[in-house]
Amino acid sequence: MENINYISVSFDDEIPLLEAVGKLKESNEKILDVLTPFPVHGLDRALSMKRSRIPLIGFIFGAFGAIVGFGFQTWVFTINYPLVFGGKPFFSAPSFIPITFECTVLFAALGMVSAMLIKSKLKPDSKFIPFDENITNDKFIILISAEDVESARNRIKLTLSGINIIAIK
Amino acid sequence: MFQSPLRIPLIKGRKTYQSITSDLLNPLMNKPAKLWYLGITLSGTALLFGAFMIFWTVWQGIGTFGENRTVGWAWDITNFVWWIGIGHAGTFISAILLLFRQKWRTSINRSAEAMTIFAVICAALFPIIHMGRALLAFFIFPYPNTRSLWVNFNSPLVWDVFAISTYFTVSLVFWYVGMIPDLGTLRDKIKKGFKKTIYKVLSLGWKGSARHWHRHEVTSILLAALATPLVLSVHSIVSMDFATSVIPGWHTTIFPPYFVAGAIFSGFAMVLTLMIITRKALKLEEYITVSHVENMNKILIATGSIVGLAYITELFISWYSGVEYEHFALMNRATGPYWWAYWIMMTCNVISPQLLWIKKLRTNIIFTFFLSIVINIGMWFERFVIVVTSLHRDFLPSSWTMYKPTIVEVGLFVGTLGFFFTAFLLFVRVFPVIAIAEVKSVVKTVGETHPENL
Amino acid sequence: MDEQFIFRKQFRQVLAIVIVVGIIGSLGAIFFSKPGSSRIWASILLNNQFFLGIALGSAFFLAVHRIAWSGWHTVLERIPESMTTFIPVAFLLMLLVYFGMDKIYHWSHSSGQDAILEGKKAWLNIPFFFLRLVLYFAGWIFLIRMMKKNSNLLMNSGDLKYHNRRKLYAGLFLVFYAVTVSASSWDWIMSIDAHWYSTIFGWYVFIGMFVTSLAFIILLIWFLKRIGHLVYIRTDHVHDLSTLLFAFSIFWAYLWFSQYLLIWYSHIPEETTYFLQRKENFRIIFFVNLGLNFVVPFFGLIRLKSKRQLGVAALVAAFVLIGHWIDYYQMIMPGAVGESARIGILEICMTISYAGLFIYIIFNSLASRPLVNKNDPFLEESLNYES
Repeated sequence: MENINYISVSFDDEIPLLEAVGKLKESNEKILDVLTPFPVHGLDRALSMKRSRIPLIGFIFGAFGAIVGFGFQTWVFTINYPLVFGGKPFFSAPSFIPITFECTVLFAALGMVSAMLIKSKLKPDSKFIPFDENITNDKFIILISAEDVESARNRIKLTLSGINIIAIK
Repeated sequence: MFQSPLRIPLIKGRKTYQSITSDLLNPLMNKPAKLWYLGITLSGTALLFGAFMIFWTVWQGIGTFGENRTVGWAWDITNFVWWIGIGHAGTFISAILLLFRQKWRTSINRSAEAMTIFAVICAALFPIIHMGRALLAFFIFPYPNTRSLWVNFNSPLVWDVFAISTYFTVSLVFWYVGMIPDLGTLRDKIKKGFKKTIYKVLSLGWKGSARHWHRHEVTSILLAALATPLVLSVHSIVSMDFATSVIPGWHTTIFPPYFVAGAIFSGFAMVLTLMIITRKALKLEEYITVSHVENMNKILIATGSIVGLAYITELFISWYSGVEYEHFALMNRATGPYWWAYWIMMTCNVISPQLLWIKKLRTNIIFTFFLSIVINIGMWFERFVIVVTSLHRDFLPSSWTMYKPTIVEVGLFVGTLGFFFTAFLLFVRVFPVIAIAEVKSVVKTVGETHPENL
Repeated sequence: MDEQFIFRKQFRQVLAIVIVVGIIGSLGAIFFSKPGSSRIWASILLNNQFFLGIALGSAFFLAVHRIAWSGWHTVLERIPESMTTFIPVAFLLMLLVYFGMDKIYHWSHSSGQDAILEGKKAWLNIPFFFLRLVLYFAGWIFLIRMMKKNSNLLMNSGDLKYHNRRKLYAGLFLVFYAVTVSASSWDWIMSIDAHWYSTIFGWYVFIGMFVTSLAFIILLIWFLKRIGHLVYIRTDHVHDLSTLLFAFSIFWAYLWFSQYLLIWYSHIPEETTYFLQRKENFRIIFFVNLGLNFVVPFFGLIRLKSKRQLGVAALVAAFVLIGHWIDYYQMIMPGAVGESARIGILEICMTISYAGLFIYIIFNSLASRPLVNKNDPFLEESLNYES
């Protein structure tokens, strides 16, 4: 962030924000980031964001969990330590299902959450300083990359005229 | 997004985003009320009493329990199932209602999830204590050991270990992930000091970026989609502790879905008990409104009726099966020496929620509060009836007996209640009870067109 | 908003031909089959249960959405509403079973030697069986009719009082249906294997009904959109329907597994005989049932993209419908027909004529009213729905 020149435009509501995003997109401004206090409905579409691949990661981890869960039980009861219980065969698939299911869910959940944290670079950080302390309260901010800050500011002011803006910096 | 004019606003009062933040953080920023101190003293005392009883049980052995040769499972399994059941409402609210797009859930999901986590801890305590040698509880996990033995993966009790530890982990993760943005709010609201550093660490550097929100939403929805079958599986597996056996009254195929319905039923009752106190004590009446209570009451009617249907099915099939032992077991429940437990269960769980068909009653806060406690009692007795009355008169009449809890067992239960409420009271002081960001995201979409808001 | 579905003459003729061909085919098959075979009666029971289940499932769909203040489904409400009109016909056809009682239900002609059947006599006897049958149908037909009547009144007058009344009847229907769906499945299906019992059985049958009705709704939407109707049913509505189909197929598998696992685990001979018979003599059917009803919808609809494509959803729905027909087949046939049961010309022709009749009745009802209820208080919300 430090080495890039940028302009920040702030709003106090999501409706002008969405409008502004649309206009900025139309005039081919490069939006670096949009910071909001809550997930704004329709913002990901306005930013033409690609859908996250977290579902796929979840599926892969889940499938892995299922194989590990089922495979381990099978290995234990057919190869490592065959055990007769209740007159059932050593390989009794129905009673392996519950644990297999639990392993699937556990792996998928932990996999997805780790993927989300890693992709978003979220980590415990006692030195963290927010961009603006009110983003988590009621402020919406668009960050736009700009080569020449002065001219870009005027240009953006013009683009966004008529929209309810709090500040352009 | 257009909303039907019939929909009423989710939260009362014209709130701005800023006022939502300050309203919901208020309970954390100010000094607690006197009532809070009173509450924590009471629950803390109960907790200490319970802790002593745990110590006593571990020290003396489970001979201190009232169980005997015939009734080998009684008090602790009853409480185990009861607590696990209560936990289910949290996941139901945060996961299933999220998938069904019930936006009113945003006011209650955070505290219901917290409740889930505390309830699961309470539940997990009971089997561990009942093991007798609680210090060797880690034996239940499969790990390579010098005896080259594994746990018996075919045993429903081991399924329980997996189900409950998975459930606890996933619930905790779900709860925490959902809370990260709100922890960010707390971090930014607190000016300085040690507290700020803690929230800085906990909020993982959340900055509210659109891309982060997108991933966060996708992850939440998927976690909900995973937690939904998970919550079904957990209580199903708990029910299989009984249903895989060949004991009349336990072995019945309806147990898994019926236990799940019962769990959600009791869980919602507990959520109502807690929420009605919380909304009053923390002055959140505008966020947890009467219509929230009404919605939860509707779920109580639905789940209570499903449970009732299952009771009737069990009774009917026990006759229809033509198996005299099944028939005896069910008759013994209803008319045997524990008849009063059976009829408490029937009255509290099946008949009393039917009163909620009346709109006046289901929008009455005091009545709902009273009823929620009645249902909690009823659901406790349901588990007691299932466990004890099925065991105390077994196939051999010479070993028929009765079961009575000792003070140690009662103390354990009181102790878990103490833990539950202590944990909840502490939670209210350190984390926002209502999901701030989620409330902000729905405040405008629902009820905008309702006359009350124009 | 006054779009009307026109049940063209060609359509009617095609469907009539399908019905007639189906009937001729089944009659022919009966003529060539062994005399006294129970296949014909079992087949009538199966198809009746299958199509009645779809109709009842759609009534449940309507009732539960109304009572839950759902807004998204309003644009497609007419489809399940017309599907329920099959129920009176199913009643008449169900009465046919009377002539095959001794073929299907061995309790109906027990000689008093069987102690277990003697114990059940108070419930399993022919007069009471039909009394209950009439009661179930009377309740369903009445409550569904009242829901529909109030819907029509709402459409014509726009008075919200009818909306509330419709909700009240939805609640009453749900209560009545919850009890009768269990009881009717004990009567009509579980009592075929009269010695066997399972407490979960009614709920298992119920979830099958709901899943088939969802699948049928998806297929009808697919068809009606192909011929240019229902343009306002968008991807978002399809997404929700597919999600429901996906979720409840998993739920069906959960109930199936609960029943199977508990019986398998406890290993009580009286109970295991049920699954033993199906696994030994109907091995393919047993696994195809799981494949079509769980594996296909699970992998077919797990991706967001496929949930949002009507074509994919309709394909999965078709598989699921076949799957649930097979599910009923494995519930009914092993007990009613025994090892000689097979899916032959008789079964296929019977199903075709039933399907023709079912679709004819639905289209007839669809054509009688506009395709959306323009005065529904949730219509606007449903039209603008985003999932």
